Amino acid sequence: MIKSLQKTGRCHVFGDSIPLDEGVMAFAFAIGRITDPAELIPHLFECIDPSFASRVMPGDFVVAGKDFGCGKPHFQGFIAMAALDMGVLCGSMPRTSLRGAISKGLPVLTGWSPQHLPISDGDVIEVSMETGMIKNITQKSSASVEPMPIVLQDIIRHGGVGGQLKGWLDQHPQLQLQPGAVSVLQQDIPIKWMKGAQ
Amino acid sequence: MGKAEQSGSPSSGRAMNATQKMFARACSRDWVTPGEVVYPDPELVIVHDGFVETAYKELTGLGYGRITTPEKVIFLTDHEVSYSSQRAVERGRNIRSIAKEWEVDQFFDVGRGGQGHIFPIESGLIRPGMFVMCYDMHCTNFGAVGALAMAVGPEVTSVLATGTIWTEVPHTINIRLQGQMPKGTHARDIGFLLSHGFASGRWAFNHDYRVIEFGGPGLVGFSLAARVALCNSITEMGVANVLFNEPPPGINVSGVPDFLSDPGATYEASIDFDLSHIEPQVALPGGPDRAANVADHVGRPVDHAVIGSCGSGMYQDFVDAAEIMRGRRIADRVRMFVVPGSTATAKRLANEGLTQVFIDAGAMILPSGCGPCAGGSMGPLGPGEVSIATAATNHTGRFGAKEAEIYLGSPLTVAASALSGCLADPRKSLQ
Repeated sequence: MIKSLQKTGRCHVFGDSIPLDEGVMAFAFAIGRITDPAELIPHLFECIDPSFASRVMPGDFVVAGKDFGCGKPHFQGFIAMAALDMGVLCGSMPRTSLRGAISKGLPVLTGWSPQHLPISDGDVIEVSMETGMIKNITQKSSASVEPMPIVLQDIIRHGGVGGQLKGWLDQHPQLQLQPGAVSVLQQDIPIKWMKGAQ
Repeated sequence: MGKAEQSGSPSSGRAMNATQKMFARACSRDWVTPGEVVYPDPELVIVHDGFVETAYKELTGLGYGRITTPEKVIFLTDHEVSYSSQRAVERGRNIRSIAKEWEVDQFFDVGRGGQGHIFPIESGLIRPGMFVMCYDMHCTNFGAVGALAMAVGPEVTSVLATGTIWTEVPHTINIRLQGQMPKGTHARDIGFLLSHGFASGRWAFNHDYRVIEFGGPGLVGFSLAARVALCNSITEMGVANVLFNEPPPGINVSGVPDFLSDPGATYEASIDFDLSHIEPQVALPGGPDRAANVADHVGRPVDHAVIGSCGSGMYQDFVDAAEIMRGRRIADRVRMFVVPGSTATAKRLANEGLTQVFIDAGAMILPSGCGPCAGGSMGPLGPGEVSIATAATNHTGRFGAKEAEIYLGSPLTVAASALSGCLADPRKSLQ
């Protein structure tokens, strides 16, 4: 899968320092090791904007200020955003969070500020990760920031680290599952006796 | 305390800081430049029980039947040790099956090793000069012995599949410790103060994804436990790693590769930090950067107290706490958990009579591991309750209930507070 580095979408605008835990997604999903997007999507930004999940559409952008995704590097929110084919435009992001988002296939462009290019909730923007050009189609304005680093562009083109790993497996067939192999996780584990079974 | 300034000598030729040296060695190169992207070859890859199943699901979902270098991989169980749910029992069984299928022989199952950022240091699995990659961010503890452990998070699946991952060589900030810590203070207090300084922009440098390298005369006399506590208490700020520019105390460094910065090595910034006037700290609920003098919060009632976890689970931490608790009883309304960082430390505490001190005081001994800090799967905190702990972090919900408050402190502060039933200044208990 080769994904485009150019995206057009409708914006949801947030402020500075939106944390991952209790901001993008409740900590409970991280410690619960939940990775199924279908389970996560209804809870995206729920802690700070309870109606977000009812408004977001596939392909939308999250536009945020400085230090987006601060705090503990828990990426459940990014899994949900990537599954919705969203993008992020923000002022800055902690390094670990940025690489976490990219690894999930969520494109992020940093270096934006509202002074630089005003963007309001609901505006439609067009962003090129490759050139750093941002066009606000609704307000008919544009500005540019530093493009996405080349190493990150490659990951996004592959749809995230998973796409890259598929390519690696093709080149290293000795690592492939043998035909007929059964996942050890599919074995039925006969434990049904404990109270509070989850 | 000084201000940020550039240091390092341009005339030093190829002088390298410790980070550059360990990266260069892992890349089979003579030199790396901070900021460049490289693909280092780690000596070990460590994954804990919270992520083994996820990594397996992701890789088998992509069609992987094997991992690239199972001989370098360590699985360890520290987050949920004494299973308290059916899911935990299932997870334990699955991890055993995955270890077998992927031929991961270095597997420290429940009761075998202990907390994954403590026991590898004590057992010698982690040695000075090593370059390793780990799932969990608190692997920065390994900097205490002069090893560089890069936290790769969920991307450890890439490392398992391919043997490496793209990594930016981090810049290094040099913190020169000056003076001596007053009695009753602890390396964790330094960590909270520094975290607060970083978060509040006190110094004119960016700490995000930087290696913090400690040096200076103030470092003399730091135990290995103090180094671990310092590494741990500044990690949550998003630093890439923590190192020390002196050999680790009590560790044989003969024959290990060079792991110290060269004289004249270049740092992105340097500051002096005076230890001689610091006071015991607590990190207020919400994050380790929310440092405040304990003295300003004395009297806040606590329900729950914890010594241990990756924050302060070394033998010396329990010796320090026992000095305060010996012959005393914790307050009636407090439940206290002692979590040895390793099974070896648990044995030593028993052999040397310290377990008795804690039990006599009314504390409970948990199995070696993360204790309540892994989401409260053991010894959780209920809604409306207050804890004082040596844990790595005190973000919302970390010990269970979201409606609870977690204060962080040193082992001394936790011990003093458990005795009094309220946040307490350990200097008074040591008088």
